[in-house]
Amino acid sequence: MEKNFIIAGFGGQGVLLAGEVLANAFMLDNKNVTWYPSYGAEMRGGTVNCEIVMNDSEDVSSVNKSDADFIVALNQASFDRFLPKIKKGGWMIANSTLVKEIKTRTDINYLFAPVTKLADKLGNIRMTNILSLGVLAKISGLVSLDVLEHALDTVIPPHRKNLLPLNIKALKIGYEYDLSPVNA
Amino acid sequence: MTECLTKTNKKILTKGNYAIANAAIIAGCECYFGYPITPQSEIGEFMSGKMQELKRAYVSAESELAAINMVLGACSTGAKAMTSSSSCAVALMQEALSYAASDELPIVLVSVMRGGPGLGNIYPSQGDYNQATIGGGDGDYKLIALAPATVQECVDLTYKAFYLAHKYKNPTVILADGLLGQMMEPVEFGEYPYPEVDNSGWALTGAKGRSARVIRSYAPSADNQCEFLNRLHAKYKMIEHNETQWEEINTEDADIILVSFGSPARNAKSAMKECRKLGLKVGILRPITLFPFPSKRISELANTAKKFISVEINMGQMIRDIKLAVNGKVPVELINRPVGNPPSVDEIVERIIKESEE
Amino acid sequence: MTNTLTQIFKIPDSIKKGAKFSFCPGCDHGVAVRLVAEVLDELGLRENTIAVASIGCSVTLYDFLEVDSLEAPHGRALAEATGIKRARPDKFVFTYQGDGDFASIGMAESMHSALRGENVTAICINNTTYGMTGGQLGPTTLLGQVTTTSPTGRNVEYYGYPIKITEHIALCDGTAYAARVSLDTVPNIRKAKAAIKKAFEIQMKGLGFSFVEILATCPTNWKKTPQQAHQRVREEMMPVFKPGVYKDITANN
Repeated sequence: MEKNFIIAGFGGQGVLLAGEVLANAFMLDNKNVTWYPSYGAEMRGGTVNCEIVMNDSEDVSSVNKSDADFIVALNQASFDRFLPKIKKGGWMIANSTLVKEIKTRTDINYLFAPVTKLADKLGNIRMTNILSLGVLAKISGLVSLDVLEHALDTVIPPHRKNLLPLNIKALKIGYEYDLSPVNA
Repeated sequence: MTECLTKTNKKILTKGNYAIANAAIIAGCECYFGYPITPQSEIGEFMSGKMQELKRAYVSAESELAAINMVLGACSTGAKAMTSSSSCAVALMQEALSYAASDELPIVLVSVMRGGPGLGNIYPSQGDYNQATIGGGDGDYKLIALAPATVQECVDLTYKAFYLAHKYKNPTVILADGLLGQMMEPVEFGEYPYPEVDNSGWALTGAKGRSARVIRSYAPSADNQCEFLNRLHAKYKMIEHNETQWEEINTEDADIILVSFGSPARNAKSAMKECRKLGLKVGILRPITLFPFPSKRISELANTAKKFISVEINMGQMIRDIKLAVNGKVPVELINRPVGNPPSVDEIVERIIKESEE
Repeated sequence: MTNTLTQIFKIPDSIKKGAKFSFCPGCDHGVAVRLVAEVLDELGLRENTIAVASIGCSVTLYDFLEVDSLEAPHGRALAEATGIKRARPDKFVFTYQGDGDFASIGMAESMHSALRGENVTAICINNTTYGMTGGQLGPTTLLGQVTTTSPTGRNVEYYGYPIKITEHIALCDGTAYAARVSLDTVPNIRKAKAAIKKAFEIQMKGLGFSFVEILATCPTNWKKTPQQAHQRVREEMMPVFKPGVYKDITANN
């Protein structure tokens, strides 16, 4: 089975880091995984995204696929850009603090969660990315909270380890967010 | 990211660029000389910290010209030395590569391709297949060229590059692209898997207890140069015989064989699998060494396959080597993207369907 | 005459046995190479030396010196020397270059080696022309000097000014020693040898970049006899390229 994820948002929202945590989690779960960032002449504040491809039986071959199973959009621009790329029956997980709740496609699942607001409530708006990762983990059912915590520990560098407890908290808030998914 | 240095067999998620740099450290690279250029700057950044930490040689060179010539100098003493760069800057290194080939020095060059010609852009590209396999320097010389397609191969082929460079006393290039350089995958570094090559018979160490050694390319006598070039090319033949490496899947019964190296080979492989699901007899051959090129194997397969398709991120460069190998037996087509991400799986599948109907 | 002969002149051990200089008659390269060889002998460096030859008349250095040598591409000698020294810091490393190699095509490598304070020595032969290619205008060609590419003489309008190499190198913080010498008279040849020796000693002490610019003749391309050529060195070159020690960080200690 192969599944792919795109995490997208403003530069500075921690999009690449969230992707790296997810990719590490799959690795720690003994799955094959590839992480690939959008890069180029991007500016700070512009949109940025990364793609994570997970395969539980064979090597990941292609990246930069034409569609995705799961998309996490942390801002409106990313929502607009990636909505058409979701596979039929796939998921759009959108940051409703910054994205309008409009469902133009009827062949996919939506989850609007105010992740920025939740992060703010937690005391650090920069937890938006990890919080959304918690939501994604719950919805996809492809990675456990334990493994994600382990992955966070792997990714956060030694001089930032003081932020680990807050990140884990954010992960849990996301994971425990009341989903009741809305099937359009 | 300098924390990723390890010799354990634990898997680590890392970028292709870091994988290459860390593998070079484990391979025992004694000297790194470099000048920054996207999309490979992580290599120099990693090396700057790690080489100093390990008390090995590191210089932020004033230019790519200087960097590659510093490598040439270090290699003349038998040291394991390397530089890394990209396309338009590798262009600046061609003169030194020609000298190093003539001097038979074990230079290791990492070339992470970006878009060209000229300054181009920093997107993935394979526009320097010709630069690596034909070369832009003067005279009849060859570089050994290795093409990774996964981050793990970035590690494995970096080890191999140091080994082959020293084994054959030949400049060796690791030809990656921006996509591989920036991509993260789990890798295992392990130990450097090759034996150390004894350089004591030729390296410059000071003429103590023996006559002086000269490493030179200046050849005022035409006769001597004829003899030298014949010997050099006999070495290339031997490299071809011993070191040609490729991956081959589902080629035995294939009507269409995709040939692709580096990151587009990954999409080609996915496309091949899709086609098999559709009942199309498609196989793939992925050259891992670009020089030596698996010409002999392609030539054999041209007896059974009906068509070859080269999948590249350029205007069609490797296709020329495929055509030479196929030698007119069957058609050779091209699926390409001029620059940027490789042709998508869907695009390749669609084209294969079209080609198989013809 | 039975015994007790004292040898007062011998070919240095650092010169290859049976080597014959292939420089043009009256060219100062032969004197410069010999001085380098004598100093290598006197300091006991020969067996620990790696020399870097450059492109131009200096390329054949390795045909005359019995030391391990690497030939660098044009202008890149100090990059090669940097690579060698960084890889093998215990080796004695020097370059032997012409003014075109050092200060035109190789200006970046030369200047940056000095700025980094690479612990190597550079010997630069300044004869105000590209000798091997037939006497074209180079970076040190004097104003008014006729060459094959300045047929009416070097003028500022078309060619700009010649470079005073030693002065520039002396300005670099990484330079430990920079001197300009000449080979036009016996006393000056002695001074030249002393400068080369000083430069080599600076490297042996690990003090940084050491540099000797040697004013030299090119009788063939100048179309002069050796005597006339040395006269030109004195009368035309020295007023512009003044001999002397421009930097010596050991001088006041």
